[in-house]
Amino acid sequence: MKILGIDTSGYANAVGVIDGDRTLADYVFEARTDSLEKIVANIDFALKEAKLTLEDIEGFGVGLGPGSWTGIKVGVTVGKILAFSTNKPISGVPTLEALAYDARNTSALICPIINVGTKDTVYAAFYLAKNDTVNRMGEYYVGDIHGLSERIKEPTVFVGSEVQSYSKLISQALGSSGISIEAREAMPRGSVVALLAATRLECGESDDVLSLEPLYLKESTAKAFLSRYSASTQAKD
Amino acid sequence: MLVLGIETSCDETSSALVTDGKVMLSNIIATQLDLLKKFGGVVPEIAARRHTELIGYVIEEAVDSAGKALTDVEAIAVTSKQGLIGCLLVGVAAAKSLSYSLRVPLIGVHHIEGHIFANLLSNPQIPMPHICLTVSGGHTMLVYVQDYCQYELLGSTLDDAAGEAFDKIAKFLGLGFPGGPAIDKLSTQGNKKAFSFPRPLLRANTLDFSFSGLKTAVINAFKHRIANNEVLPLEDIAASFQEAIVDVLVSKTLHAALQRKVSAVSVTGGVSANRRLREVFLDTCQQKGIEVFFPELSLCTDNAAMIAAAGYARLGRGEMADLNLNVFPNTPLEVQGGS
Repeated sequence: MKILGIDTSGYANAVGVIDGDRTLADYVFEARTDSLEKIVANIDFALKEAKLTLEDIEGFGVGLGPGSWTGIKVGVTVGKILAFSTNKPISGVPTLEALAYDARNTSALICPIINVGTKDTVYAAFYLAKNDTVNRMGEYYVGDIHGLSERIKEPTVFVGSEVQSYSKLISQALGSSGISIEAREAMPRGSVVALLAATRLECGESDDVLSLEPLYLKESTAKAFLSRYSASTQAKD
Repeated sequence: MLVLGIETSCDETSSALVTDGKVMLSNIIATQLDLLKKFGGVVPEIAARRHTELIGYVIEEAVDSAGKALTDVEAIAVTSKQGLIGCLLVGVAAAKSLSYSLRVPLIGVHHIEGHIFANLLSNPQIPMPHICLTVSGGHTMLVYVQDYCQYELLGSTLDDAAGEAFDKIAKFLGLGFPGGPAIDKLSTQGNKKAFSFPRPLLRANTLDFSFSGLKTAVINAFKHRIANNEVLPLEDIAASFQEAIVDVLVSKTLHAALQRKVSAVSVTGGVSANRRLREVFLDTCQQKGIEVFFPELSLCTDNAAMIAAAGYARLGRGEMADLNLNVFPNTPLEVQGGS
């Protein structure tokens, strides 16, 4: 199946095209600024490199985040409107899962870490690799790096961009516990998003095109404020 | 030419199909009124999330309810200038995806130009040149419309937009959101001469507006009555406040019309739906022998039909954007071009 995969959750546009187990194109267009508006042009570039047109694509994969709130809104919008207008299926892929999959050749726990835009908050999750797939263990983590360190009880491979500095902090926190950790620098890749989407799409599973939404994992500040506010007024009542 | 319009610059998610910039086949508007009522106004991040959630549905509905297929669409027009950046980005991302996938031209439209076209869509007979007052919760602007797509900004608000002043005073008086309709409704039972609120910049030799001082005057009058344990005639406050705003908007627009020697004015934007504003405009313009035009009510607030109409006019001039079309939250109206 020819699948186009995109991820714009970080400071880059990742675009990949696969056909079965062959990667036809895989690009990460890096830019700290103004890269988002180029995503459709980036897709066009990757398709041309793969010697395909949009009509050849049989399904779409899109990185849902977490990450830059603006980035995931744009990525998911592009993914679903392309799927809608070409009448092809789409599968959303959590960006943390795409990162974990990239580090799957380990028997240790895999912990992808994403830190975009939110100063002291990281998004993370734990995965175990098995038979070329990764399975998430427990809930997503949203919080500071110290809180994450407290959850490390066994050998763990950390994966993500700028993950080296986090692993130093974590290793300090772990002290002399003897738990071995490893850090692997990686960015979300379009080909991996496409591959993970393909495993679902090939079984006939897909997401509803129009209702697909990003994985924010955090409420907007105003909403968080409002829910705290209404909780406290309810408490008073 | 069948143009699909997309508008997501603020809190309305909208898509529309318009033929040749004239015939509106559909105009689907998903409002975020539930969120606005909860928060008392627009929260940019929440609005942008809602756009992401709804954009596909409104596009599908715009096409279906027009009795067309997506493949019938011949061009995509999208609001790319003026608005909340995160909100604009969602609409532009959807527009580019459609343009790329359907292989049809893409054009970025200035939101204010859209409002000018809302009135032209309702009243194609509006003569050129004319003066256009665009007045809503986000802006208050006087524009000299020399011809299609040729504008000169004559004045705009120095602080609050008129609609914003309505919203803030309504919120203060506990009338809810949106403030304009609430104040308009309450005003019908009040005496508009009960309070003599200031008409900011009315006598000044400028076509700019200011509503912040008026807002303070209303709040002070309210507080003064509370402090002195006097009765609070809310309907009188509402009527007098609305009259002050209407007075300023009508006077300045007519002043601009006389200054530029035009025979017609058009009033557009959310506040142009205000009953009292229409009434006073009609009366005053009749006295002065000036024609006045308002869009039909569904085209007053933000909508994609006006963007499709403006986009069609731009495409007719050979303007077009490419897939790198960017968003510009603060670009003035006069700065035009494809991308």
